[in-house]
Amino acid sequence: MSSSQVERIYCPVCLAKFKFSEGWSEGSVVVCPICGERLTISKSADGWVGDRIDKGTEKEIRDRIDGFAEIRGYVFNDVKEDIVEGLMGKYKRFGDFYCPCRMEHVPEYQCPCKPTRGGDVEKNGKCHCGLFWKKA
Amino acid sequence: MAEKHKIIVYALSTCPYCKRTKRFLDAHKVVYEHVDVDLLDDSKQDEVLDKVEKLTGRKSFPVVIVGTEIIVGHDEQKLKKALNI
Repeated sequence: MSSSQVERIYCPVCLAKFKFSEGWSEGSVVVCPICGERLTISKSADGWVGDRIDKGTEKEIRDRIDGFAEIRGYVFNDVKEDIVEGLMGKYKRFGDFYCPCRMEHVPEYQCPCKPTRGGDVEKNGKCHCGLFWKKA
Repeated sequence: MAEKHKIIVYALSTCPYCKRTKRFLDAHKVVYEHVDVDLLDDSKQDEVLDKVEKLTGRKSFPVVIVGTEIIVGHDEQKLKKALNI
């Protein structure tokens, strides 16, 4: 397969596409390398797409933030549990896991938010709400 | 004790730092009014957000108003000083 033909998988959380890896097939469970979401992949008419596993549950958001922290090498502190509670509140009231410290309920502020995915932790030492921290 | 002043807390219902500020005030038996800005209806929310932005220059929470003093973020030292506790 040439590089121009590399297949990609659409992530419904970060709304980005990531590279399809060798060994994956219909029904594989994969982790989005951009946001850390666990996805079951399937082929649709528009190409490969990921389905959120355990959507809307505490398990989903915990797996996602733990996955993201592992990918980026970030750490948590004692505010993590309060933030998870805030994320659950956002899901219940506003329909998805938006940043608990922001007013805006738009896809770019789905946790981990776009500024965090874009490198805010490297720049500021932490993300906007203080969930993800750069290792000391 | 600065409770002669009206104390108002502008907060987001899901924000952990806002919760810490409320917990801190409760623990010190401070009487205060609080507004969870994210739970207001749209027109009221716009009004309160404008007010918060005018007072603090940004839309960041919590905001605690003690008389003429404005504290942005959860800051126990500033709260203690402002409330004389």
